[in-house]
Order: sequence, then C-alpha cells, then structure tokens
Amino acid sequence: MSCSKPDILWSPHHPDRYVICDSELGLYRIGPAGGSESKPGTLPLSDETAATLLAINSDTPYMKCVAWYPKHEPECLLAVGQANGRVVLTSLGQSHNSACKELVGKEFVPKHARQCNTLAWNPVDSNLLAAGLDKHRADFSVLIWDISSKFSPEAGAATAEKIRLSSLDLDSSTVVTKPLYELGQNDACLSLCWLLRDPKLLLAGMHRNLAIFDLRNTSQKTFVNTKAIQGVTVDPHFHDRVASFFEGQVAIWDLRKFEKPVLTLTEQPKPLTKVAWCPTRTGLLATLTRDSNIIRLYDMQHAPTPIGDETEPTIIERSVQPCDSQIGSFAWHPSSQNRMVVVSAANRAMTDFTVFERISLAWSSTTSLMWACGRHLYECAEDGAEGLKGTIEADIATKMRQRAQSRYGHDMVQVWRNHVLAGGSDPQLKSLWYDLSYILQYCQGTPQDLQGNKQSMVYSGIKNIVKTSSGTSESRRCWSGSERQADVPQFHSEERSLALRLCGWTGRGSDQDVEPLLRALEQEKEWERAAAVALFNMDIRRAIQILNKGATADKGDLNLNVVAMALSGYTDEKASLWREMCSSLRLQLNNPYLCVMFAFLTSEPGAYDAVLNESSVAVRDRVAFACMFLNDTQLSHYVDKLSGEMKEAGNLEGVLLTGLTKDGVDLMESYVDRTGDVQTASFCMLKGSTGEVLKDPRIQCWIENYRNLLDAWRFWHKRAEFDIHRGKLDPSSKPLAQVFVSCNFCGKSISYSCAAMPHQGRGFSQYGVSGSPTKSKVTSCPGCRKPLPRCALCLMNMGTPVSNSPGTGKSDEKMDLTRENKLAQFNNWFTWCHNCRHGGHAGHILSWFRDHTECPVSACTCKCMQLDTTGNLAPSDSS
Amino acid sequence: MFVARSIAADHKDLIHDVSYDFHGRRMATCSSDQSVKVWDKSENGEWHCTASWKTHSGSVWRVTWAHPEFGQVLASCSFDRTAAVWEEIVGESNDKQRGQSHWIKRTTLVDSRTSVTDVKFAPKHMGLMLTTCSADGVVRIYEAPDVMNLSQWSLQHEISCKLSCSCISWNPSSSRAHPPMFAVGSDDSNIGYGGKVQIYEYNENTRKYAKAETLMTVTDAVHDIAFAPNLGRSFHVLAIATKDVRIFKLVPLRKESTSSGPTKLEVQIVAQFDNHNSQVWRVSWNITSTLLASSGDDGCVRLWKANYMDNWKCTGILKGDGSALTGSSGQPTAMSTVVGSSLQSQSAFNGMSAGR
Repeated sequence: MSCSKPDILWSPHHPDRYVICDSELGLYRIGPAGGSESKPGTLPLSDETAATLLAINSDTPYMKCVAWYPKHEPECLLAVGQANGRVVLTSLGQSHNSACKELVGKEFVPKHARQCNTLAWNPVDSNLLAAGLDKHRADFSVLIWDISSKFSPEAGAATAEKIRLSSLDLDSSTVVTKPLYELGQNDACLSLCWLLRDPKLLLAGMHRNLAIFDLRNTSQKTFVNTKAIQGVTVDPHFHDRVASFFEGQVAIWDLRKFEKPVLTLTEQPKPLTKVAWCPTRTGLLATLTRDSNIIRLYDMQHAPTPIGDETEPTIIERSVQPCDSQIGSFAWHPSSQNRMVVVSAANRAMTDFTVFERISLAWSSTTSLMWACGRHLYECAEDGAEGLKGTIEADIATKMRQRAQSRYGHDMVQVWRNHVLAGGSDPQLKSLWYDLSYILQYCQGTPQDLQGNKQSMVYSGIKNIVKTSSGTSESRRCWSGSERQADVPQFHSEERSLALRLCGWTGRGSDQDVEPLLRALEQEKEWERAAAVALFNMDIRRAIQILNKGATADKGDLNLNVVAMALSGYTDEKASLWREMCSSLRLQLNNPYLCVMFAFLTSEPGAYDAVLNESSVAVRDRVAFACMFLNDTQLSHYVDKLSGEMKEAGNLEGVLLTGLTKDGVDLMESYVDRTGDVQTASFCMLKGSTGEVLKDPRIQCWIENYRNLLDAWRFWHKRAEFDIHRGKLDPSSKPLAQVFVSCNFCGKSISYSCAAMPHQGRGFSQYGVSGSPTKSKVTSCPGCRKPLPRCALCLMNMGTPVSNSPGTGKSDEKMDLTRENKLAQFNNWFTWCHNCRHGGHAGHILSWFRDHTECPVSACTCKCMQLDTTGNLAPSDSS
Repeated sequence: MFVARSIAADHKDLIHDVSYDFHGRRMATCSSDQSVKVWDKSENGEWHCTASWKTHSGSVWRVTWAHPEFGQVLASCSFDRTAAVWEEIVGESNDKQRGQSHWIKRTTLVDSRTSVTDVKFAPKHMGLMLTTCSADGVVRIYEAPDVMNLSQWSLQHEISCKLSCSCISWNPSSSRAHPPMFAVGSDDSNIGYGGKVQIYEYNENTRKYAKAETLMTVTDAVHDIAFAPNLGRSFHVLAIATKDVRIFKLVPLRKESTSSGPTKLEVQIVAQFDNHNSQVWRVSWNITSTLLASSGDDGCVRLWKANYMDNWKCTGILKGDGSALTGSSGQPTAMSTVVGSSLQSQSAFNGMSAGR
C-alpha cells in the first residue's frame, strides 16, 4: 500500500460510501446514474451507478495504510499509518461532533521512526488499534494503541518523556507515545488482523512467520514459520480460516491445525497485491496480482469432504475482468451481494462491478428456457403472455408446432390449401404447395391409360420436361386487340404447354387460355401480376384493363392508372422517346411486375435478361415467360442455371424446376439445412414423390426427425395421424403387428384365426367384437380349444363381451353415451399388466384403476397403472 | 418488458446444472449441496419439486435424463469422483398421493480417480449408453447391455484425451450416414496445449473411438460444448462456451465407401461473439437448433438466432437474476442490426434488450 498505488475502503456503516486513498483521501458516495450526467463531479461507475466526490482530505502526507474505525460513532474516523511510523486519526467531511473532535488529529508515535505497514482496529474493543511496523533493531514491531488514552497514561515514568515530546510537538495533548501493548520484538510486521473468534487474539504476518498474539498473555505467542506472511485476512464466515500470501501464492490456513496451510492455491506468475474474502458469500476469495486487469476468484465454499483417507477441498477457480485497464485495487461491498468497486492503477478510474454466479441453462422441447443463477431458478416460458414471445416469434420450432396443430400438410384434396394452414405468410411454402397442387391436378386430369410415362414426367420437374422437348414450333404473334404489328417470336411445343400448366398459367384442357388465371389474380387483388401475365400473353388491352380495375378498386393504387397510361403509349419504334423513357424510368418502379412489363416491352426479342433475372418476380412466372419466349437452347440453359441457383439457396420455389426427383431432394436438403423445417420436407416428399425417390435415406431421416419432434412435444395424436397419412402414401412404411398373444397351453398364437381375416385392430387382439356378424365369439384358443384366461374382475373367459361394470353404472358416465359407445369395442379388448401379468377386459381394468392403485388380483400388490410414467403423461394435442 | 418467472428452488447451495427430460415436463437440478431435485410440471404450468435426495458426497456438477423409452432414469456426476445412475420406482408407500416420487440408486461408476465433470447419455438409437468425462482427461463410455437391469453397466471404452476434461456432448444425429460421434472440451487454461475441443468418432472396423478432429483454433479453456440437434441436416453444428461464444459447422466430406478411418470433416467457424465480454459458462440449443442460449460471467443470458443467410445475431439479453435489463437505451433494434459471421465489434449490441 504505497502512496502511489490507490486503495479502497468501504464505509463500515454507510452502504453507499467509500474512500479511495492514494496520496490523499477521497470520500465518495455511490448512487444511481440516472440523469446525473449533467451534475458536475459525478463519475460513472457502471451503466447504472455513478459516484459523487463528497470530501477530500490531504492533511496527512506519506500515507502508507489506512483503516476505518469500525463503530458507528464517530463515523468517518480513519486511522492513517505514515511512512515514519506515526499513526494519525483523521476524519472526512464530518461536522465535528464532540466525540470526534477529541479524537481527530490525535497522533500515536512509536519510539523509533520506521515505516508503518499495516493497521487494524479491534472489531469488538474499538479503542484498540494495532499497527504493524518495519523492524528497528530490537524494538517491537507490533504496537497496540488505545485511542482513548490521554497523552500520559502513566504519570511518573512518562514525565520525562512528556517533556521531551512537548518540545517536539506544540500541541502535545494530541500525541500519544505509550502503546497499550508492545509485541513482536526484534522483528518486522507486514500484515495484521484481529481474529474474529476471540477479539483478544491478533494474527500478525511477521518477517518469516505467522504469529498469533494473545493480549491476555503477551509473553507467549503461537507461531508457524512460513513465507506467506502478507495480507493476512480472516474469512468472515468461517472464523478459523485465514488467507495469506507470498509473491504469487496464496496459502489458506485453518487455525485449528495451524502447523501447515490446508491449501495453497495455484501460483500466479506475478506477485499478488491483494487478497480478500467476500463478506456476502461463504468461502469466496478474490485475489489480485500486479499489472493485471483480472481478478481471480476462488470458490471454497464446499467443506472438505473425506474421500478415503485423503481430504481435499473443492475449489472452483474463476477470473473476472471488471474493466479494461490495469487494476490498482478492489474492495468487496460489505453488504451488497458479490459486489465490489475496482480502482484502476493509473488514473483512479473506478468501476462498480458485481461478480455474477455462473448460470447454467437448458431449453425444453417446447422452447421454454430454464436457468439457474446461484440458488435460484428462473423460467422464461414461451407460452406466457409475455416473455420470449417477442424475441423468438418467428422461430421454426414454434412455427412447426403451430402448423402441426392446424393440420398442416394433411389437406389431400385441395393441396394448395396447405400453405394457408401453415399461416399463409411464407411465399416459398405457397409456391411449393401450388406446385404440388398443379402436379396432382394434372395427374388426376389425365385419363388413366395416358398416365404412366407422362405422369413420371410431371413429377420430374420442368427442368427435365423442357429437355425432352422436341418439335418446337416458332410463331410470331400479334398483339391481340391491337392493330399494331408485333414482331415477337413465340415458341410452342407439347412439353412447353405442359410446363405452362405446371406453372399455373394455363388451366386444365388443351386450350392455352390464361383468362382463368387472370380472373383469379384479380380476385386476389394481385393487379400487377395479372397485368404482367396478360401482357406476356400479348394482350396489352387486357393488361390496361386490369390496371384500371386495380386503380378503381377498394384501397386501389391510383398510380396504376398512370402505369396503364404509360403502357397504352407503347410503340415498337426503336428510337422513340417512349422507349427511351420507359427503359430508364422503369428501374424506379417499386413493383417488380410493373418493372418487368416495361422491361419486356423495351427489350429486343430474344434478349429478355431484365425479365428473367428479376429475382423478386416469382419463379413460376419467370419460367412460364421463358417457356414462351426463349428458344430451346436458351430455355434449357436458363432453366439449368435457375434450378442450380435455387438448389444452392434451398429455395422451395425451385421445386417447380427440379420436381420431386433426386434433384428435388437435393434442393430440399439445402432447404432443411437452412431452415430445419423437416415438417414441410416430410409432407412434401410424401405427397409428391414416387416410391423410388422415397427410399432416399435423407427423406427417411427427415421423416424420423419430424416424428421425433412430434413425440417430444407430446403431439402423439398428430404423430399417429402422420403415420396413418404416411402409410397411405407410402405403403412400405406400415409397421407390422406389434403384439401377439399365444395360448398358455399349446403356445400357438390365438390371433391365428383372426390373421386370416382383414386386419382390424392395429396391434391389439380383439375378441367377441360385434363388428363383423359372421365372426363367432372366441372364448377359447383356436388351436387347442382350451379356454382363454379369465378377466380378473368379471371372472369370465376373455372373449366374452363385457357386461356393464359397476363403474359404468355411475350417473355421470351415463351422460356421455356417445363416448361410451365409441369405447364399447375397446372395453372388450384384452389387456394386461406387463409387470404382474394379470389382466382382463380393458373397460373393467380401467374402471378399477379409477379408484384403486393396486392390481385387482388378490395378494398382488403391483401398482400396475403407475409403472409407466410416460403413460401417465397426457398428450398435449388431444382434440 | 421482459420478466422471467422465478421458481423457489430451495437448494442450499449453488445450482450447477438444470436439465429437462425429453418431453419438457420434468426437470432435474443438481447443486453443491450434494443433492439432486426432480421437478414436475403441473397442468397449469407450475413446477413442483417431487423428489429431492442426497446423491453424492461432493458437489454434483451435472445431471441428465435418459430417453423415456429406457424408463425414468437420471445420471449425475460429482466431485466425489463418481457418477451415479438413478431410477424412479413406484414406492411401497403412497408416494404418488403425496406428490412425491421415489428414486433409487441403480449403480455407482467409480472408475475415475478424479472429479467427474460431465455425464451424458448417448443418443437413444445407440442403446442405453452413458458417457462420463473427468478432470484426469479420460472419457469413459458405459453400456447397460440389458435395459431392464440398470444395475449392470460395463465399461466399453476408455479414451484418454490428455487434457483435463470439462464437458462432453454427443452428436445427436440418428442418420446412418453419420457414425457415432462426440466432442469433448477441456478447461485447461494453458493456451500452449493447443486445441481444447476434440472430436471422436466410432470406427466400425476397429470398433473403437478415434480422434476425427481437434479444433485447433479453440485454445482457451472450454466450459461447455453442445452439438445442435441435427434434424436431418447434412452437417453438424457445434456450440462452444470458452472466452466467447463460438459456433462451428462440421461438414462431413462424403468419403469413398471402401476407405476406413475417421470421416474427414470440414470445419467452418460460423459465428464468434464476445458480447458477454467475459468467460462464457454454458451454451444450450433449442430443439430445432435454430436458437442458441448462452450464459456468461457478465451475469446475462443471451439468445442467438441465425437469419436466412446463416448469419447469427443476438436476439435477446436476459439478466441472470430475472430482472429487466435497464441502463442501455432499450429499443428493439435487434432486428435491424446486421451481424456478419466474422468477429463482431463489441458495441454492436449494446443498445439491445429483450422483449421491449
């Protein structure tokens, strides 16, 4: 604690005050930072707190160490140890009350001048102040002063001395020269602390040993030889535990076994400057080394645990970095949890800093976050009114859960509607489900005998369709409804018209009419797109008409009229002003469809890059456009390039091009890689893929992962529905029967006779079910005709239809007749406990366990219903 | 304003780990008070402690659930050099009525000579397997050959990692294209010892685990490591808690079918964030691996999310004590902050807070 290096002391009584001492003493008050930026003299300590300088005391030069008087009154009394060994009492910014006045300015002077290294107030008898001094020949180095003592404690012997002193000091009444106790003869004292277990004991770090002095018997001392004699300090929570250090090593001592340190901490490369126990938590020791910007923490709160014959305390070592600059010193706040103020070595910059407990955390499967901080648990649930919702609304896990609940993917009739079930806000999903919808529509529209070859082609995507194209014819079409000549070459082939159908431009049947699409688009108020489609079909008048309609419609955009006006001025004159203006001004149009309309009109035939590469225009429109206006080479080149891009980006719009081939799986793979949306991947692949593609391990992997997700969310009903759905589309996925019941006597399966019949239950054996009238009741084994086991409750052989059990006679259950009827067949099922192997009719067993926990069979204590914890969980999607 | 719900944990000392079960309806916590607590979520969303018992004679570092198809099974590991397997049983008394469940110790794994720092069950498609790692740098893989008998575990593999291990994570991918793989992190703080994350892969031919990769760029102490749920992706994602949050992408290079030896992995760093401005303590993925949560010595929990360009950014900051984040000007600017995958400037997120 040299004067160049600052140190910090917290006030023992005011939780918001501390003193920084370097060459002078500065008293600060800490407070909230809010709005105090304007106030002069405040120093920001952290985001929330700032310090105000209250007082400065520079009366005492050559400060070596400072200690704050521990009692309430007088407050703000400080003892300062000086380089010449004197100890001065001083005060900071206090109105001098009587008690204080008497003490402030008092000096305690050792016989021989040498540096004062350390000061310590006795925590109980606060009149006692211990000072540790450097060595001076055979003089004592630990002096204990009584601050209440007058200048001459002993009248006789001190008289001569008093005379001597009065010549030195003018105001001799404030100078005390006679210490109460003198200890540590012929030695130096580097650190001191009073022991908390007994206030008569003083622990001192002497030159080469740690010594415990007892004030009741000053002639004796307990000591242990060690180098670790600096910075002795007692753990405030464990009074027998003491820390001290030497160079870079900290030693932890147990005063009950004082012979050797119980523990030495890993040595630091640089010498330590401060070691302090945290006053608010047991066993937390903070250490600081020279020229460092980190504080190292040792968590020793775990009492030594005997394992075998060794003992070894647990230490969790951590380091924290309160500020960027090098730390001069730090001090724990006496009462605030794990809080400290840090002062930098160079410029007295201070930081308010809290050491946080290490937080462990975990996500649940339903996206709620739990974390543990210290001894506390916090949960941030997704489904709360507030909480995580705002931050992670768009997460795919939440989306998939919502979509699963809205039966996303299950609409088999109107396949395109699935994107509405998904929320209707994702353009990629919309495109995907329309693609699938058009494919399926085409398959349904084609007569059975024509399918085969065509159908596989439909699934293989436009990329493959246009490749097989042959016999393309070229035609030049005029603008319909316009007298002007157009010189735009258009291409036709059977494959191209198929592609147009898959793009959704032309409908069912052989006619190439886009009118149904235009009307649908008008209905959905997609005016710009409708106008563009009309224009690409060489119907400029229709396009203008659509735009007009759009401008006059509800909430229509009047600018559309302006666009229509511009459109009507179209001329194919190469050098016209119209053309010049349109090609430059079109780039300022916000709507991509309006933009490509003018791009089309101002382009040279065959050079439509501005249309084809406009990425905000839907892929289906660009592809349809390409199918009309690009020749075979250009078209296949364009489609190849575009599908490559889509695959790279995992853009589902590209499914139109790749189809649901292996290419499509590649595209879907990069979609899943990007989004994790295995739900869409599973449904899409099931819906549109042929058996061969479905065998791709990647698809199976997505399906498994999706089923696993549903299970984790306890969407068991949804999972089962998904399995049923999957079984319909991919019959190979149907699981085999899971359970067989064999006869006790002959060992043959008793479902043997049922197996020949059409499969009814899924994995359960059914007996006596009235479902098929031809089927006789089976109460005995079909193999050996021995009777089947009896129901534990009604004592009838299994296979006998269940009679009303007493449980079902209850009035409240009668109410729900339809439900009972639904369950009637289930009531007849044979069920048993896998643990005790007792069983009976499912209905009887269920009603028994409504009121009982143990098995209905006498002397069987099996708690059948509680054995399976998962079985007791309710599905979260029961609907 | 974001406010987290506090749950009265009633542990007598620091809680070191929390762990959800497969369905998210049960939770286990472990603490320095040498106990494990099991919590059940009631229908109204409240958590109730249904079991609390002393598990070890030292701090319990980690607790983890087995997949429910193996029953209600927990594993814990401790400073007392052991790991233990616990199973819930239906007690003789009317425990259920009192809302209490009964857990009994099925086995104690005593092979480690030092503190067992992490314990994890292998993915369920591998069967009932348990992995521990310890401060002496050994990873041990145990298997229960009979899933009905949890008192018998055989030590299948003992892998020496040379460095003191702090954490372990299994690659959860169940795809047949991916052989079993785990990553182990070391908290050794000597940066001279090189990479602190090692990745091991099972070799079908030698029937042994062999090192597939060492992440040489991670040289500081690693406190936690987490493989992301794979969900059918073609690559693996690994989050690492060290002096910062790091996200790595491990892309298996398709190998020729004949070649043996470990899969070649292409390692890409996807994101690196020093926003915690201090040591990062834990990382955790959500079920679709689209959200990452991290906690650091700054006392905050941060949430990370990738946009469609695979650029990760911070989408929320929660204070560890559940209080609202104050001080910084709290506008929801999170969405507009563009964050690349490279090193970020420190101040990029200073103006953000969660839920406001």
